[in-house]
Amino acid sequence: MTRPLHVRLLRHLALAMLVAWSAFPIALVVASSFKPARDIFVHPPRWLFMPTLENYAGLVKRWPDFFHHLANSAIVAAGATLLAVCASALAAYAYSRWRSRALTASAFSMIFIRLIPPIVITLPLFPAVNELALNDTHLVLVLLYATFFVSLGTLVLRAFVDQIPRELDEAAMVDGASPFGVFRRVILPLCAQGMVAVGVFVLVYAWNEFLFAFIFTTTKAKTAPLTLSEMTGAIDGVEWGVLFAATTLQLAPIVAIVVAAQKYLIAGLTAGATKG
Amino acid sequence: MSGWRAGPAQWAMVAPVQALLVGVIFLPSLYVFWLSLNKSSFGVDPTFVGLANYAEILSDPYFWRAFRNTVVVVLVVVHLELLLALGAALLFAGGVPARRTMIAIMLAPYAISEVAAVVMWRFMMDPQIGMVSRALAALGLPTLEWAVEPAHGLLLAGLLSVWLHLPFTFLILYSARLALPGDLYEAARIDGASAWQQCLRITLPLLVPAMLVAMLFRYVFAFRLFSEIWLITQGGPARQTEVMAVYLYLEAFRYNEFGLAAATGWLMVVASLLLAIPYLRQMYKRMFAPEGQA
Repeated sequence: MTRPLHVRLLRHLALAMLVAWSAFPIALVVASSFKPARDIFVHPPRWLFMPTLENYAGLVKRWPDFFHHLANSAIVAAGATLLAVCASALAAYAYSRWRSRALTASAFSMIFIRLIPPIVITLPLFPAVNELALNDTHLVLVLLYATFFVSLGTLVLRAFVDQIPRELDEAAMVDGASPFGVFRRVILPLCAQGMVAVGVFVLVYAWNEFLFAFIFTTTKAKTAPLTLSEMTGAIDGVEWGVLFAATTLQLAPIVAIVVAAQKYLIAGLTAGATKG
Repeated sequence: MSGWRAGPAQWAMVAPVQALLVGVIFLPSLYVFWLSLNKSSFGVDPTFVGLANYAEILSDPYFWRAFRNTVVVVLVVVHLELLLALGAALLFAGGVPARRTMIAIMLAPYAISEVAAVVMWRFMMDPQIGMVSRALAALGLPTLEWAVEPAHGLLLAGLLSVWLHLPFTFLILYSARLALPGDLYEAARIDGASAWQQCLRITLPLLVPAMLVAMLFRYVFAFRLFSEIWLITQGGPARQTEVMAVYLYLEAFRYNEFGLAAATGWLMVVASLLLAIPYLRQMYKRMFAPEGQA
């Protein structure tokens, strides 16, 4: 079916606008991070310029802790992802294969609990975390981030496990495998796609999260988004070039991961949205 | 397909997930309810005051302003986002050049943190140096004075929120559109339906369930809006751009009024659950359906 010319033109225009809407803010900040200071504020923006690393040098000099905070983000994100994916996969297997009213009720409560807004639980957790001397540790963020994604993770992975024929479980059990053995040798390898999808969901959330990091960390476990917000709020005026360099370093790895995992993300979201 | 009877081994398998949810979210939120019935501040033992905290926040004009701001922002953000996502999903389903690359570009804002997005949008919208502001001014249009004008601050936070969450809504609608059976369109074409009629009579009605799911999710999540507002206006000027979550944060961590903050928090929990009732009912029916239908 060929479309009339004006329809084709309109479609291309709409696509161009969507692309500009999504990509322009990111492209602008990344490009500006390589611009010499005098070019950043030139209007209209210059897309051809001599790239320079002076903003990155400024970042190293004035905000040396930023790299430490990036490392914290990486540690916390990796920990939360590992915990959430492992816990979700195990639960997804149980919910996919076994039935009882109590088990179903626990699956339902999982969805119910996930609807509670995160800020609400900071009230009791703030004193509790202090009491346990867990404030400003990686652990508290790992636990919080993993918890807020195990519901979605379990739902998505359950949809993946449901597609694995039960005959495979039964064959392995006939060979003498325990439920945990079946999980390790049959289920895990066959729902790797789903695990990648869930892993990326958690990774993106944990790498970027602001509220919990803002409330529960101060120096040692501080994550990169917090440093960015401090740079934005600097009283003696914002150093835009340095801020752009820091923003670029914060966003580049996670954008790369999301783009690389595009196929899995779509599969995971489809499974999660249609099945739950 | 009926399942095997669950035994202790299965409870062991769901234990880690359940322990996290109950320990980190469920028990603390029950404690919030108890806290909301007490007068409590830093280093002071809580005293039971019944519903006094609720009475106090419900008579606080700042609470109502935060409530109104939240409702307006949620309604505008979610519906604007759904409309854009629907348009984009239909456009992509009709075929676009370099589809994988285009989808990757559409997805990119999903990977951006709220803080980084604030950096981008503040830079573009800065009244003095922002290029969007200068472009608007050059066209003789008013610019966003988001630091002084409360409505503009909320608008900027809303735009940012749409930008951050459009990928999620787009993907839900796009994959729902791709899942529609192709023979429906085949039959419609044989009957001589135009592309416009096909969209109106087949695509849109069949996409309604996916749109409802996306809308509900976004209602619940947009209702929690905190970072965008906090990082752009901090609720100011003069507390005029606060939303519920910012109001709660300030009550708790600036004014040390834990009882009032807890009452606000519990109202947020109830509102979230009320918003999600249609979704919860549907899940309940599906999960507790007789064996063989689940």
